Amino acid sequence: MDKVKVTGLKKSYGSNEVLKGIDMEVQEGEVVCVIGPSGSGKSTFLRCLNLLEEISAGKVVVDDHDLSNKGADLNKIRENIGMVFQHFNLFPHMSVLKNITFAPVELKKQTPAEAEKQALQLLERVGLADKANAYPASLSGGQKQRVAIARALAMNPDIMLFDEPTSALDPEMVGEVLGVMQDLAREGMTMIIVTHEMGFAREVGSRVIFMDGGYIVEEGTPEEVFGNPKHERTISFLEKVL
Amino acid sequence: MRIQKKITGFMVLLLFFFSFVGSLVPSAHASDAKKTYVIGTDTTFAPFEFQDVNGDFVGIDIDLMKAIAKDQGFEVTIKSLGFNAALQALQSGNVDGVIAGMSITDERKQTFDFSDPYFDAGPTMGIKADNNTIKSYEDLRGKRVAVKTGTEGATFAASIKDKYGFTIATFDDSTQLVDDVKAGGSVAYFEDYPVLAYGVAQGNGMKTVTDKEAGGSYGFAVNKGKNQELLQMFNKGLANLKANGEYQKIRDKYLDETASAPKTKWEVITSSMPAFLKGMGWTLYYTIVSLFFAFIIGLIFGSMKVSHNKFLRGIATVFVDIFRGIPLLLLVSFVYFAIPQAFGFTMQVWLASIIALSLNAGAYVTEIIRGGIQSIDKGQMEAARSLGVPYGTAMRKIILPQAIKVMVPSFINQMVITLKDTSIMSVIGLVELMQSGKLVVARTYDTFTVYLVLAIMYLIVITILTKIADRLERRVSRG
Repeated sequence: MDKVKVTGLKKSYGSNEVLKGIDMEVQEGEVVCVIGPSGSGKSTFLRCLNLLEEISAGKVVVDDHDLSNKGADLNKIRENIGMVFQHFNLFPHMSVLKNITFAPVELKKQTPAEAEKQALQLLERVGLADKANAYPASLSGGQKQRVAIARALAMNPDIMLFDEPTSALDPEMVGEVLGVMQDLAREGMTMIIVTHEMGFAREVGSRVIFMDGGYIVEEGTPEEVFGNPKHERTISFLEKVL
Repeated sequence: MRIQKKITGFMVLLLFFFSFVGSLVPSAHASDAKKTYVIGTDTTFAPFEFQDVNGDFVGIDIDLMKAIAKDQGFEVTIKSLGFNAALQALQSGNVDGVIAGMSITDERKQTFDFSDPYFDAGPTMGIKADNNTIKSYEDLRGKRVAVKTGTEGATFAASIKDKYGFTIATFDDSTQLVDDVKAGGSVAYFEDYPVLAYGVAQGNGMKTVTDKEAGGSYGFAVNKGKNQELLQMFNKGLANLKANGEYQKIRDKYLDETASAPKTKWEVITSSMPAFLKGMGWTLYYTIVSLFFAFIIGLIFGSMKVSHNKFLRGIATVFVDIFRGIPLLLLVSFVYFAIPQAFGFTMQVWLASIIALSLNAGAYVTEIIRGGIQSIDKGQMEAARSLGVPYGTAMRKIILPQAIKVMVPSFINQMVITLKDTSIMSVIGLVELMQSGKLVVARTYDTFTVYLVLAIMYLIVITILTKIADRLERRVSRG
């Protein structure tokens, strides 16, 4: 079954068309890495998958729910789609624990006690059990991003979206975040990752999508895209970044 | 949780304030064997009606009215409404008569029936007490005199200015005439006799060297054709009081120079302090009430300003532009004078003041709230929405708690501004600190002392409030 099915997706800001017709599917358990030059529309594409950006045309179906349908219960659908942002976007006025338990408790998914128990397990999983009562301001970038992943996982989503999760990190902290993501992939989470980490895409991705100029230019397994790119633009992009 | 408790506490406080105000509104006539008449009067027209050091209304009009009532065996309830409001109330039957240092004119006789004149006014010249060069109008040649706009004194001065060759400066307020002469801008001033004589009696540093000119007389008025028995009792009582010397006693009490020695600055301060403290209480009360409504207004229009709906944003923008763009003085004049006149209703002074202050501060609070919300990184809203949290919840639990920290310094600033702005309401006669000061100035003519004391009082209260707010701010930002 398709977890995500996108057909004819277009997105414009005024007269500026950023996405010019995207078609793709994601199967359960797939780890799809989206690569491409900046301005290619890959972040916008990702943000259309949980409708943080309104869609100009086309269709986005997640878990059989049509997000592009006006009547769709977006809040309900979003509960199932975790998202991790480039700049973490942790809630600065809440402790790490509260950041993680906020949504499940607020949306009555769990009792405060249950949520806390799960939050501590998640923190254990991302290696930050000792930071439960710390505030975001006291954490390093890598720690913040791991908390942000734990926060997204607290809603028990079946899909995780990552929007350049390591781009804002100092180089020495990239590894700890990618490690957590790799663990998630191994556990079978369906993931769509916009990234500049080519090594990670090659190693962890089950599929790689190359976007440029608002289109998907090329897609395939990491071996195909990195080892034997067919399209000219893919070749020139990879030459620059590898 | 703690914040909720605080809000509840605040609401209780507010309710308390409202009930307090409610209890101040005079209740309907007390039923009594004697007939009770309701008499309207002006707020401040010394020596005819003004507040004494205890905040009680006294003056020639008040004392005379009470003495006549006693002589003729009826009861009076005196309502201090302001001159124009008193006449409106008389026409609409809300009061039975008006005594307000009102000149008897042919024009007014069309609408009202007047009693026998109870006081001959007439313009009089005043000069500095230590001025020995001016002995008659002849000595004014080439000099400047001060007059108050719309008075008989102004008309009289204009009629003789060419003959004696002086120029005229026009002011709005009796105390300004005295101040101008004191400062040397003018050498003399023309003012209605009782007002001038009262000032001199209070030791305002002026004196008279010429006789009172012939002029208008003051009368007590009832609505044309109505309350004739009251008018007759007034005339009879007035005649009795004149015959038995009581009338002269009342006049002397307010106008005889020897009756009251000039007060020292310290006496002025100590005797006015109770009135000032009361005034400060009212200033704080109007500040709190107006800010409360401004906050509600700000929350409503502030949320509209950050909404995605163009129409709502437009309404909020128009609201802010209008009430931020109109000077507060003009706004309150609209609310108190212009709108009620155009639509034929009367407006309470306190209500007009609260409306004007709330709308004005509300426009600024709207902008403070909008600015606070928009200063929060939009990633915060996106993170909350991506978790499935609805917009309203995200706004309340994620955005606002952060935005409030940004807003607090601006709120403190607005509180200080609104507190100072209450003083503007003194133009419509709202009793607050500034107005309390004006009333004392009208009585004592000691402008410098009074306004210095007011300035110090404003400074002290604002400094205390700012310190408290700073502490609160530090606690808020600590979380």
